[in-house]
Amino acid sequence: MIAVVVLVLALAAAGLAALFGAGPSGDLPLWEIVTLIGMFLVFFGAGVYVAAVLGVIGIAAGLAFSDRPFWNFAGQIIWGPSTNFVLVSVPLFLLMGEILLRAGLSARLYRAMQLWLGPLPGGLLHTNIATSAVFSAISGSSVATAATMGSVALPYFEKTRYHARDVLGSLAAGGALGNLIPPGITFIVYGLITETSVGALYLAALGPSVLVTLAFMAWIAVRGQRMPAGADSPAGMAPAGLGVRLASLLDLLPIAALIMLVLGTIYIGWATPTEAAALGLFGAIALAAASGSLSLRMLHDSVQATARTTAMIGLILLGAYLLNFILGSMRIPQMVASTVQDLPLPGWVVMLCIIGLYLALGTFMEGFSMIITTIPVIFPVVHALGYDPIWFGVVVTMLIEIAQISPPDGTVLYVLQGLRRDGGSIGDVFMGTLPFVLIYIAAVLLLLVVPEIATWLPAQMM
Amino acid sequence: MKAGNPEPADSTPARLGRAADALANAMNAVAGWGYFAIGALITFDVLARAAFGFSSRATLELSGYLLAIGIAWSLAHAFTERAHVRVDMLVNRMPLRWRVLMHLVAILLLAVVAAFFAWGGIQLTLESIDFGARDRSALEIPLGYPQAIWSFGLVFFALRLLLALAAATGRLAVGDFEAVDRRHGPRTYEEEAAETLEAVPLVEDRR
Repeated sequence: MIAVVVLVLALAAAGLAALFGAGPSGDLPLWEIVTLIGMFLVFFGAGVYVAAVLGVIGIAAGLAFSDRPFWNFAGQIIWGPSTNFVLVSVPLFLLMGEILLRAGLSARLYRAMQLWLGPLPGGLLHTNIATSAVFSAISGSSVATAATMGSVALPYFEKTRYHARDVLGSLAAGGALGNLIPPGITFIVYGLITETSVGALYLAALGPSVLVTLAFMAWIAVRGQRMPAGADSPAGMAPAGLGVRLASLLDLLPIAALIMLVLGTIYIGWATPTEAAALGLFGAIALAAASGSLSLRMLHDSVQATARTTAMIGLILLGAYLLNFILGSMRIPQMVASTVQDLPLPGWVVMLCIIGLYLALGTFMEGFSMIITTIPVIFPVVHALGYDPIWFGVVVTMLIEIAQISPPDGTVLYVLQGLRRDGGSIGDVFMGTLPFVLIYIAAVLLLLVVPEIATWLPAQMM
Repeated sequence: MKAGNPEPADSTPARLGRAADALANAMNAVAGWGYFAIGALITFDVLARAAFGFSSRATLELSGYLLAIGIAWSLAHAFTERAHVRVDMLVNRMPLRWRVLMHLVAILLLAVVAAFFAWGGIQLTLESIDFGARDRSALEIPLGYPQAIWSFGLVFFALRLLLALAAATGRLAVGDFEAVDRRHGPRTYEEEAAETLEAVPLVEDRR
């Protein structure tokens, strides 16, 4: 409900802004835009499929306002993005993630990290964040990261005295690194729509990834001071000797190799993100084979799940491309951008409004729908205000990650709740996740003040 | 399908529906293995480039076709699995009859868009055949072939939606609102989560 209020406020602000802006730029088709926004609200509220909302509004706007026979281009409009080589990486990364989800590799990863981080105050919670961060570097999905790490981590906590809230919150926070730490699928979709380089986005995401991971661990370290004494040392978990710890590093080798195969090849410029995704797919299959979990059945389940998720993303993309073609032929994004540019407001105020809009949308919208629906209109505005497109891609991805773990919605939270065996209420997950959501938002604001956290690295390398 | 007021199993819409679901499931599998084939093609290309300095000069085009066909062929299955995204915040709070009405409106509007896509696909395919358009790959594939296969997926998706609309209307005619809601209600977060968890291997306690 808060979301609705914020949305209405944002709309009112936009309306006022349009009135102010109507002076200098004048040519804004206010009536058309208000009609379109009204249709959006009614359709979304009525629960129409997101792709159908975009497509129907596109067709209606084309028939009503466009004097060009847009339907002659219908086939080309959807064939173009459907065959795009950048988009090819989406099913490949998804398939890699589905295989890793079923491969059961994470148990050894978690055990090895726990041997090193366990002795710290709040050690097992640090282990949650660190293993999630490492797993995120081979997985582009937050839900998959939370599910894999949660399934391995939760049994460790059964014999400890950690509070369920801290445990579940740290796992949700770790899951929310899945898309931010390269290779993330959100970046591919963003790169596709805005025609920015996915490789540059992956470079720009590194700084913020480290920032968010360290901020999470700093918070746990603070909390760790107030942990009940002995929370970390349940029976059978005495600190291991150095030999055992060094031996555990061998368990990290396969995953390190997979990270090198995917991210290494992208960063040294040896492979495009799509090629790296294909290499990663076969790397993941090799790891699954080595761990004995590879089977035809398992592969078949993985490709079926991949096809379904790709269809889900693809349909929304097709609807969006249709609508964007119509809006573009009416020059609406450019007009909105120039209107916002003429506002008597500094750019950072507009950017704060955009961030607020995404936080509000995130409470009831699924991540991919959010980015595909909004970016075509928001991106020209951001560009006109002089913000860096790569930087904004990172900010949007962080906002979508926040949406994934914002109570009371978000699949990540329900996955963790589904993994619990202590029978507690989902309120624990919500309460435990909240501080991490706030830290994540603080990181976004810091990025607004110090954009170099994201933009420095790509500027050096590209 | 859960128990309770089931649709007569031998009715024409029920049999058509089952046949369509089986076909949709098979087409989804083709789409998925097509993605696997893309991965194999690209990997071969990358390795061949690294080791022998050549590439197939057709991977870019072939993977694009496989992706387009994959998306189009899996749309219907994603629909029956309720994987297409809706904003369900308000719908879930409506009384049953309103909710079911909203399901029908949603499917109807999706069918309109799907029909538009299918029409566009057929138009594009016919144009490509008329002009004898070929791609720029080493294989010089006539564009009409992949586009025809792609269009078949789009047409099937539109027909599947119309069939679902007809079946749902039939259930409403006999007052069975629950059946329509079960079949087409948005997936809850719990259902999404349960599906992911099914895939995760259970971890035995190794300590």
